[in-house]
Amino acid sequence: MNLTAPQLCPCGSGLRAIRCCSQPQGARAPAEATRHLIPLVERALAAHRQGATETAERLCLDVLELAPDRIGALSVLYEIRKAQGNQTAAEALLRRLVGLDPNNLLVTNELALILLGKGSIAEAEVHARNAVRIAPENPQAHNLMGMILTEANRPQIGEYHYRRVLELSGTRDPIVLANLAWNLKNQGRMDEARALYKESVAVAPDVLQTQIGFTRLEEADRDFPAALRILDDADTRFPGNVGLRLARAAVLGRMQRYNEAVALIDGAATDNVALGPNELLEKGRLLDKMGRYDAAWAAYAEGKSLARQLTGHAYLDEAARNLLDRLRGFFIEGRLRTLPRATVRTDVPQPIFILGFPRSGTTLVEQTLSAHPRIAAGDELPLIHEITAIMPRMLASPLEYPEALAELWMGDQREGLDNLRDYYLQKVRQLGVLRRGATRFTDKMPLNETHIGLIGLLFPEAPMIHVLRHPLDIMVSAFSNAFTHGFNCAADLHTAATHYVRVMDLVQHYRGEMALRYLPVRYEDIVAGQEASVRAILDFVGEAFDPACLAFHENRRYARTASYAQVTEPLYDRSVDRWRHYRAHLEPVIPILAPVIERLGYRLDP
Amino acid sequence: MRGLPAPGLMETPPSNPNATVSAVQGGIAPPMVPIPLDAALAIARELESTGRFDEAWSMLQFILAAAPQQGEALHLAGVVAFRRGEGEAALRLMEQSLQYGIDLSLYWRNIAELYRVLGRLDDAIGAARRATRLAPADPLCLQNQAIIHYHRLELGEALDCSARALAIAPALPGAHFARAEALLLRGDWAEGWEEYEWRFRIGGAAPLMPPTDRPQWQGRQIADATLLLVADQGFGDVIQFGRYIPWARQRCARLAIACSGEMLPVLRRLAPDAVLFTRWDDCPPYAAFAALSGLPRLAGTRPENVPADIPYLRPDPERVARWTARLDGLVPRGLRRIGVIWAGRPAHNNDRNRSLHLPDLAPLGEVPGIALIALQKGARTGQAGGWFARAPLINVGAEIADYEDTMAILAVLQELVTVDTSVAHLAGAMGRPVRVMLPFAPDWRWLLGRADTPWYPTMRLYRQQAPHRWAPVIAGIAGDLAGASPPAA
Repeated sequence: MNLTAPQLCPCGSGLRAIRCCSQPQGARAPAEATRHLIPLVERALAAHRQGATETAERLCLDVLELAPDRIGALSVLYEIRKAQGNQTAAEALLRRLVGLDPNNLLVTNELALILLGKGSIAEAEVHARNAVRIAPENPQAHNLMGMILTEANRPQIGEYHYRRVLELSGTRDPIVLANLAWNLKNQGRMDEARALYKESVAVAPDVLQTQIGFTRLEEADRDFPAALRILDDADTRFPGNVGLRLARAAVLGRMQRYNEAVALIDGAATDNVALGPNELLEKGRLLDKMGRYDAAWAAYAEGKSLARQLTGHAYLDEAARNLLDRLRGFFIEGRLRTLPRATVRTDVPQPIFILGFPRSGTTLVEQTLSAHPRIAAGDELPLIHEITAIMPRMLASPLEYPEALAELWMGDQREGLDNLRDYYLQKVRQLGVLRRGATRFTDKMPLNETHIGLIGLLFPEAPMIHVLRHPLDIMVSAFSNAFTHGFNCAADLHTAATHYVRVMDLVQHYRGEMALRYLPVRYEDIVAGQEASVRAILDFVGEAFDPACLAFHENRRYARTASYAQVTEPLYDRSVDRWRHYRAHLEPVIPILAPVIERLGYRLDP
Repeated sequence: MRGLPAPGLMETPPSNPNATVSAVQGGIAPPMVPIPLDAALAIARELESTGRFDEAWSMLQFILAAAPQQGEALHLAGVVAFRRGEGEAALRLMEQSLQYGIDLSLYWRNIAELYRVLGRLDDAIGAARRATRLAPADPLCLQNQAIIHYHRLELGEALDCSARALAIAPALPGAHFARAEALLLRGDWAEGWEEYEWRFRIGGAAPLMPPTDRPQWQGRQIADATLLLVADQGFGDVIQFGRYIPWARQRCARLAIACSGEMLPVLRRLAPDAVLFTRWDDCPPYAAFAALSGLPRLAGTRPENVPADIPYLRPDPERVARWTARLDGLVPRGLRRIGVIWAGRPAHNNDRNRSLHLPDLAPLGEVPGIALIALQKGARTGQAGGWFARAPLINVGAEIADYEDTMAILAVLQELVTVDTSVAHLAGAMGRPVRVMLPFAPDWRWLLGRADTPWYPTMRLYRQQAPHRWAPVIAGIAGDLAGASPPAA
């Protein structure tokens, strides 16, 4: 053992690991035993207040070496690390604080915000819910829920909590109003959102986020001149701001003024302003539209690489492989014959599952279908994933999904699938998906095809529309957009290809083992012959053809996913065979994808 | 099993050459022990003949490493590869054995069979003729040649070869059987049925039943005693020849039927008062026995008097109700429901000719307004996962538990498109519309050159016009489906 170099914790707190993240279980000393350290903690606090950071830090480290669970010292050290921008350490310290003092609203709030900031939405939600449990009348607790559920694509629930904030605080805080406006925009309630943005800007015109959000609303609502007017005004308040510049570039891009858009982004680069990952991807997409493909690819690559550095997101290879292998092992013909199926409810609207890899055309199919008077749009419903998480509890199983389905063999769980089905349908109602006259609704959560087996058990008669697209076009799209679906596979090109193939193999397995109401639909066919494809889909769904479906771009419903800018334009075939422009860049993943490309009947030669 | 043992014969050669082999193999360095080639080959032959193919393969690799041009080792390795199901490798080895100058009739006879199995019928007939020329007095060469002629639909030549074989060896069962198949296919059923009786005497054929001292039934009335019928051969045969059960029932006091469990639902309907059993231990006493597949002979059936009291099979109404509901849930009502089966059991000795791959059916996927309902069972079911044509394909095979389910589904479907497998018979016996895709040289029961069949009036036959050419067959069916013409008037 090396006694001279202390084994510092990898989180960067400055503490030894054994006093920090690797503290042995049950080693906690009673607070009473270290009370003589309180004066040191007080000195640290005082030093920190006076700006004597080094002293405060030294004192905290000393105290925590002796008493790692002293909350006061942990709090000060957390503040210091946060101020230093050391996010890993700050987060680790915050987690320890929340663990030591679970009823502390302040630290719970902080942790939830950090998690939200780095995109760990599911975990953020856990802490936000705790915040509401700790302080059910506290506006900030509800604000957390509002922000997180809006991001988690459950805006209806988020809206409830934002309105609670307004109620509880008794004021119309401009930030909350802007947050609520963003939420309503995500629900497609553009006019209400616009009114709230106007109210917010009137009170607080100098909030950058509000201005950008307002611009995005107008852009999404296709009022590009209005968006540019807001940007002109914001530019006078925040001259040279990179966020505004990017927002302007996005608007100009949608107005097909690509040259100006790219010039704006490049201008930001030459002004020595570092572009973030999203800016880089946006730049790449604009370059793509201008036909500068190699430059576009370089921008994507840089954006992806930067995103990996900043978020630490990488494909969860082992977790993905593990789950997919277990699904393949569980859902086999012989076992499926012994499992019950949920019965079919006839008293509530029924789902249509639109399956597909992100960026394969699922939004297009949903927009098309939901233009039909009897079909409501559910968007990306996170519910199947939720069911996989709560299944062990709902079925009282010691096992995880999918093995927990073995409980269906028990006498007291024969109706377990009906309960899970009802959970799904009830959440759908809560999310406000259903509208008058609709007898069906869509659920287009990408990669739900991973769970075809479960869907087949829960909704044995629900149509599954699997949107297929040339795998190389999907890769181009995945590389030029950010999404976290599929175990973060889109963090890199190689992992996106790997995950795509794994899922397609699993789909093939399910279809070989089960009777499924499954229809593969090619994105390319929809583009080439929209009416024939739409008719085939509606035939399969069991609804009569409606001409409204062909004019889906007039469907004013706003789809919140990355594809929205495309589905508001009439069908165009520029999105077909894009991969040919990137053939050389895609070379490394072709060996991975070739078998699936062939199986699906796509070609590899230009 | 229909068609009984592997039609052609694949024999291992006798030994002779003198040489030694040094026991050195790549990677390992065992002690050098010289083994006489003779002895090594004898060991390999012994391993092959006792079914220890992997060990035989290792031994032969070891011999060939030392003597790569050793003709007999190459040939034997080819036989072993064939037994291990590696047809292409077997062919390479056998071609090499011939290339090194050994012109044995046995080698040609074996390679002819291999060519036949691999579907290379021109090479097969060339090799078979050469074997016959080299050994004109060997009836087995002629027998194999007859079988190849059958597969080329050269029935005159097939009958000629089997006649010549029988002139040399009048009691050669395989030659009689080859003759039977050619006669039956040609429609010469009177003589064909008699020759068909030789099927139980072919070497390696599974015996019909345990040894018995009861006589084989000749169709005469049995007063006050039990007639035992053995539901032999494939499921399709049982369904097809099951139509004779009422006829047999009228000629005996009591009926017992030995069958496999899968066939119980079918046979119960045909013989409500018979004793059905699936284990010989449960066999009741009986006065005489007959194979179900032997009843057409006893009934004097000819193509023009086939008893076809269709439907003679009916589904269980409860199952029909259940499957109606299930299919209504899986398939929208607006689409025509077309059942499909693309493969039979892989173990069938003619499976290579009669089965196809699901992607071959892609043209059916372009027919508008239909849904394909896959009734496929067994190892090929998984191909359903790779279907990406426009018409949806619903794999209900995964939920079919038994022939009761299959019958109920057939009752609900508009029609069935299938290769020559038992469900074709089931649909025919139920009087359901069915289109059957037949290989170039079909099973004898489908006769020649006609699109209909006296066995099943609701069936339409689609024949390959050249060996292994499925595409025109499938295009024809797709056209007829699109034109909505029913399988049979």
